[in-house]
Amino acid sequence: MRSAAIRVDNVYVDYSAQSDVPRRILNGIDLEIENGEFISIVGLTGCGKSTLLRLILGEERPTSGRVLVNGVERSKPDRLCGYVPQKYSLFPDKTVLGNVTFGLEVSEFGAFSLLRPTRRKKMREFRATARRYLEHTGFHEADSIKYPHQLSGGMQQRVAIAQALILKPPVLLMDEAFSALDPGTRSGMQQLIKDLWRQSGTTIVFVTHNTREAVCLGTRIIALARNGDRGSSVALDVAVPHLDFDSDEDEIRDLIDEVESATQNGIERARSRPVPIFS
Amino acid sequence: MRFLRIHERPERTTALGLSWFLFAVGLVSYFYVAQLRHRENPDERVMPTASQMVQSFEDAALKPAEEEEVTAGATRPSLVARINSSMLWKDSMATGRRFLISVLLLFPAVMLGLHMAMFPYVGAFFLRFIQFFDKIVALSLLPILFIAFGIDELSKIMLIVVGVAPTVILDTFNLSKGVPHEQVVKALTLGAGDFAIAYRIVFKQIWPRVLNSIRLNLKAVMLFLFAGEMIASSDGLAYRIALLRRHMGMDTIIPYVLWVALLLFLVDLALHTLNRRLHPWFQET
Repeated sequence: MRSAAIRVDNVYVDYSAQSDVPRRILNGIDLEIENGEFISIVGLTGCGKSTLLRLILGEERPTSGRVLVNGVERSKPDRLCGYVPQKYSLFPDKTVLGNVTFGLEVSEFGAFSLLRPTRRKKMREFRATARRYLEHTGFHEADSIKYPHQLSGGMQQRVAIAQALILKPPVLLMDEAFSALDPGTRSGMQQLIKDLWRQSGTTIVFVTHNTREAVCLGTRIIALARNGDRGSSVALDVAVPHLDFDSDEDEIRDLIDEVESATQNGIERARSRPVPIFS
Repeated sequence: MRFLRIHERPERTTALGLSWFLFAVGLVSYFYVAQLRHRENPDERVMPTASQMVQSFEDAALKPAEEEEVTAGATRPSLVARINSSMLWKDSMATGRRFLISVLLLFPAVMLGLHMAMFPYVGAFFLRFIQFFDKIVALSLLPILFIAFGIDELSKIMLIVVGVAPTVILDTFNLSKGVPHEQVVKALTLGAGDFAIAYRIVFKQIWPRVLNSIRLNLKAVMLFLFAGEMIASSDGLAYRIALLRRHMGMDTIIPYVLWVALLLFLVDLALHTLNRRLHPWFQET
């Protein structure tokens, strides 16, 4: 029996914009995500996908309800959840290696690393670990001294993934992480994240507006649909067979149709807790 | 009218010629008019000739200052010794010392701006006050500063700090606020604490821009310093200019003005070069 990595209990989120009546964004979301699942969250623009992700991240608090990761209620972002946003994922003043070792460095030394006598020895270890992670993400050794602005979008996201995974977070949250990439780079990155997920067993929550991406990556699809002023709720929560981008096109097409009809029509078809299918 | 087309770019040599054109026009016009005036009046003092200015600058840079005691019959001192005892050197050192102290005192202002942006309680405590303070015309405080701190160095340095610090604080505040929120969230997920985020993420990212902001404020620093020196001082470049004004010493004033501009240009260039060397990742816009 797998334990719940993430629990979202009856969560409501309202935003009020200056003297306006509060606008409901999320309406009674209930989710239970088990350890090791690869969750794809899909939905149309403005349906609250990223809001849900920010709740899990701890960057936002729900108006009512609660969000727990590993049994701990979220109050602010921390090491329980790794995070790969669409952009600004790397620190521009640090090299690739500096970006990847940053998490290990601050965990070990805090804000004033230069003052620690053991710094040099520890940093050598951190850099060796970082090089291993970069290698896993298909990064060349020679590029590790480059700055983020010298890398392509795909390379930057590879570094961002290595940066997040090096701390071995129980949960990895990816917010439209591949949206800004060209199709070729994007498919490479999709394969990479799937391989890394298989190797690491980290629970991944992947927000995307691309249904094909969601279907081919996730072991479970959660589709959010907006229901007018009542806010968004889960329109579809379904475990999917382990597909790949080169799986049977009919099978992929059927799933895409199902997900898209759920997101577009806002059909309340939340199913009973599905059993994820792992290969 | 190809000169007024957005997509029309001058060639390298043309651009170089255009950029120096106004300098050439200024110099030629000045010396032409100066020559005319000297032809009409050989005692002309408002527009000195090039040779007069060179002579005065040489005197200021190589001859001992008036305060220096010259021992009769002594051997001719070395060039370095002559420069060290010259009026220009002493004035430059006096002004430079005040300038340096003032610029160094802007560092706490940078730190305050950073903390105001990073920690909402600090921001709420200081922001309104600094915004108000920024609107006060620093020169109008000069009499108060002279009364409060006397007419020594402290009042001049305080004038600069009062005049420039609020701008630097607000600039740093805005730059810190401009760091994408994703970066802060990312750092939190990597285990960074509040101070690690403030100093190792935000400060490091804004520092090259803060240096640029300080570079842009160098002229303001110099302006307040000159105001202080002109009103109450016994040395310094501005003191000398104010003193020479009484004697219509344009042959020394003009080289002094150009000297100040050159010094400021060199400080700016040094900061710019340092900024580029220290922060190779920084993409200037």
